[in-house]
Amino acid sequence: MIRIRSLEFQYPSGDFRLEVPEFSIEQSEKVAVIGPSGSGKTTLLNLLAGIFTPEKGTIEVGNIGVNRLTEDERRDFRIVNIGFVFQNFELLDYLSVMDNILHPYRITGALRLNKEVCARAAELAQDMGISDKLKQPVNNLSQGEKQRAVICRALLARPKLILADEATGNLDPKNKFRILDLLFRSVEDHNSTLLAVTHDHELLEKFDRIIDFKNFQKDFPRV
Amino acid sequence: MQLTKNKNKKIIYLLGLGLIIYVLGLPSYSFAVKKPTSKLTVFVVNYPLKYFAERIAGEHARVVFPAPKEVDPAFWMPDAETIQKYQRADLILLNGAHYAKWVQRVTLPQFRLVNTSAAFKDRYIRADEMITHTHGSEGEHSHEGILFTTWLDFDLATEHARAIEKALSRKKPELSKVFGANLESLERDLKNLDGEIKLLVSQKPSNLLVASHPVYQYLARRYGLNVVSLLWEPDKIPGDREWNKLRAILRRHPARWMIWEGPANSTSIDKLRSMGVNSLVFYPCANVPEKGDFLDVMRQNIENLKKAFK
Amino acid sequence: MFDSLYIAWKYVRFNKFKSVILVTCITLIALLPLSLELLLNESEKQLMARAKSTPLLVGAKGSALDLAMNSLYFDDEIPELVAMDEVNYVNETQLAMPIPLYVRFKARGYPVVGTTLDYFDYRNLELASGNSLAILGECVLGATVADQLGLKPGDSLISSPENLFDLAGVYPLKMKVAGILQKSNTADDRAVFVDLKTAWIIQGLGHGHKDLKKNKDPTVILKRTDTNVAANAKLDHYNEITRNNLDSFHFHGNLGTYPITGLIAVPLDTKSGTLLRGRYLTRKTSNQILKPTEVIEGLLENIFKIKNLIDSVILFVGSATVLAIILVFALSLRIRQNEILTIFKLGCRRMTIARLMAAEICIIVLTSGFFCGGLVALIDYFADDLVRTLVIR
Repeated sequence: MIRIRSLEFQYPSGDFRLEVPEFSIEQSEKVAVIGPSGSGKTTLLNLLAGIFTPEKGTIEVGNIGVNRLTEDERRDFRIVNIGFVFQNFELLDYLSVMDNILHPYRITGALRLNKEVCARAAELAQDMGISDKLKQPVNNLSQGEKQRAVICRALLARPKLILADEATGNLDPKNKFRILDLLFRSVEDHNSTLLAVTHDHELLEKFDRIIDFKNFQKDFPRV
Repeated sequence: MQLTKNKNKKIIYLLGLGLIIYVLGLPSYSFAVKKPTSKLTVFVVNYPLKYFAERIAGEHARVVFPAPKEVDPAFWMPDAETIQKYQRADLILLNGAHYAKWVQRVTLPQFRLVNTSAAFKDRYIRADEMITHTHGSEGEHSHEGILFTTWLDFDLATEHARAIEKALSRKKPELSKVFGANLESLERDLKNLDGEIKLLVSQKPSNLLVASHPVYQYLARRYGLNVVSLLWEPDKIPGDREWNKLRAILRRHPARWMIWEGPANSTSIDKLRSMGVNSLVFYPCANVPEKGDFLDVMRQNIENLKKAFK
Repeated sequence: MFDSLYIAWKYVRFNKFKSVILVTCITLIALLPLSLELLLNESEKQLMARAKSTPLLVGAKGSALDLAMNSLYFDDEIPELVAMDEVNYVNETQLAMPIPLYVRFKARGYPVVGTTLDYFDYRNLELASGNSLAILGECVLGATVADQLGLKPGDSLISSPENLFDLAGVYPLKMKVAGILQKSNTADDRAVFVDLKTAWIIQGLGHGHKDLKKNKDPTVILKRTDTNVAANAKLDHYNEITRNNLDSFHFHGNLGTYPITGLIAVPLDTKSGTLLRGRYLTRKTSNQILKPTEVIEGLLENIFKIKNLIDSVILFVGSATVLAIILVFALSLRIRQNEILTIFKLGCRRMTIARLMAAEICIIVLTSGFFCGGLVALIDYFADDLVRTLVIR
């Protein structure tokens, strides 16, 4: 699913450099990325999503050479193939829950919003247990409900890859396991691959593989 | 089928014929029918003006004098409906000299008002024995100070007539020649009356007269009549006070004839006769006479006056 | 585009306070010059229409503008008074029809216009109900006066004293409403028309009282002689003219000296008008004759000079408003940085942000345009009444 070779990336300010000699994730794998702050976990996610482009090396996501795409192609690639789950939810307070879930379809021409999409969004909301909140403003939702809405948004376009950056970071202990279970189930249902950055070691046993950025160059055994 | 066809043809022919006749007839129709000329509507405030206006305007005006026959037009007050009729008139002829006080108390279209005595305002006669009243700072005022029976001076009557002719000609300039000719005819008649009285009075210029009512001042001034006026009504028997006043007048003004403005009651006539004063009627003719017209009345007045100048 | 509009609409609706303020600012800044233009055009139209329909005015020398405004629009500024003899002079020239005006008094805030029946004929004023003026003490109301005061024929209207301590004799006169005029959309709608003589009675130049010759109250009589009865101030003057006391009403002195504020001279033809104007130039008189159109053109010139100044001010204010609005949108963009980053991360297209901002601006501007258009239409609909009430009066 994901192949990285000889990746070299440095921020324009020059204060951080990421080097990844070899890295791969198979289809439908659920991989956790851990490491100290500033080790480059989020940078990796941004490179995989095509938000940043490497100086050297190749990034393949689902046979698409992300680093070879133009800016516009990367944007379209991202919105069609990648689903994001953010720590701070990044929901828009002026839109309803349903509108937030459908939001990616309204900000690009690469996705077409139609009745099927709306029906699928409602189904996803049903699976997440928030179908009764669809017309409400997002500020009325609890933290857990918000993250479920984010998961719905992330899965709506049936992306190949879900990138979760501290998805349970703002959730209470009871909710974080629940959300993670939901995320795993949805990922399995949609046959997507999950790459989740997390600081929470309690959740690691649930993942198929763990990548520790402390010793990134070495291959880590599968769990 | 054939019958129906023939019937339709007939109808079409008739309609076509009718249309042709109509079209041909149109021009002749429009020339044949004359546009009616609009007659002036002239309202007046007394009978003399009515007579003069009718003489001058002839068939070209409808002259209206709406006061009831039994009232004195000088003191008559028209009702609202009559005022509206005056307002709609083409011309409103006023006597002037404060005649018809009601004119001051109603609203009339100023531009259609004609004061027929405006030309001789300087010859109005002011009364000298009226009681005035004052209040505030305006000083002494008399509301009945100007006397108004101007038409009894036949020279002034002619001026009234001229003013009427001028007003009518201004309204209908195309008829000014007709009006002018009619005026000349009226002027001749008034001049004759004027001449007759002058001749009559000249026979006895020092003749002393009394009048039952103060309406003969213009007559007196024009023709040199020596008249002292009372405030009697022909149909009323004067009281003792009035008789005493008359006796006092007769002591300094020994008149032998009383001029009445209408047929007097017999009691007054008899008592006057017993005092050596005879009666004659000189009808001012402010309202429509029972018989005849203005000229007829004035001629009869002159006949009656002859009795006093024999 | 529709998606952008949808999102923008949601954003605008969510931020009601900001949106309302923006819409209000843009509406006002657009409305000001448009409504000013509308009202001034209407003012010009009305002022000139009235002036054009009045060929010549005669009044006392002095402010031509006061004379024109008082005679044409029954303005509060009373010009120097003229004697009624001036009407007789114009009449005698046979060059014009004189229509006297005495616009000095008020009745419940509305001008009392003393004139003659010729005024109604000349202005083509028709009655909607009741009758025309017939006897002294009656009045005919303009349509607006009747409407505002809820009066109909047969009701009464009392004239107002000139000032609080009116000791000079301007008695309130109870006038009977004889008729109501049809709406003419001119200053005549807001006038109370009376006969000229009624106006003089209001002033106290004419009055009615009991016959002093028959008076039995000795405390009323100041002095009595054989030929005159003088009364003191105790003498009651009637403050209402009825059929019963109409005969007692009278005027003192020569009516030719009685005052008017001006007269409309309607020349028989152009030549007569020129001749009449010529007479006033050569005649030694304290009166003037003027063409209302010339006076009003002068007034309008000044008004439009002021309008240009106001337009400049509006331009500055408008520019400042536009800059402020731009600042608001710029700050809004800054506040929405997180949102922008999010949709960028999600993979929005390059122009999405610009489209969203453009859609938001479109909605704000279109909404403002809608309100502005509606208000302009409203002002346009009521322009003639507004101008008559606020500007011309």
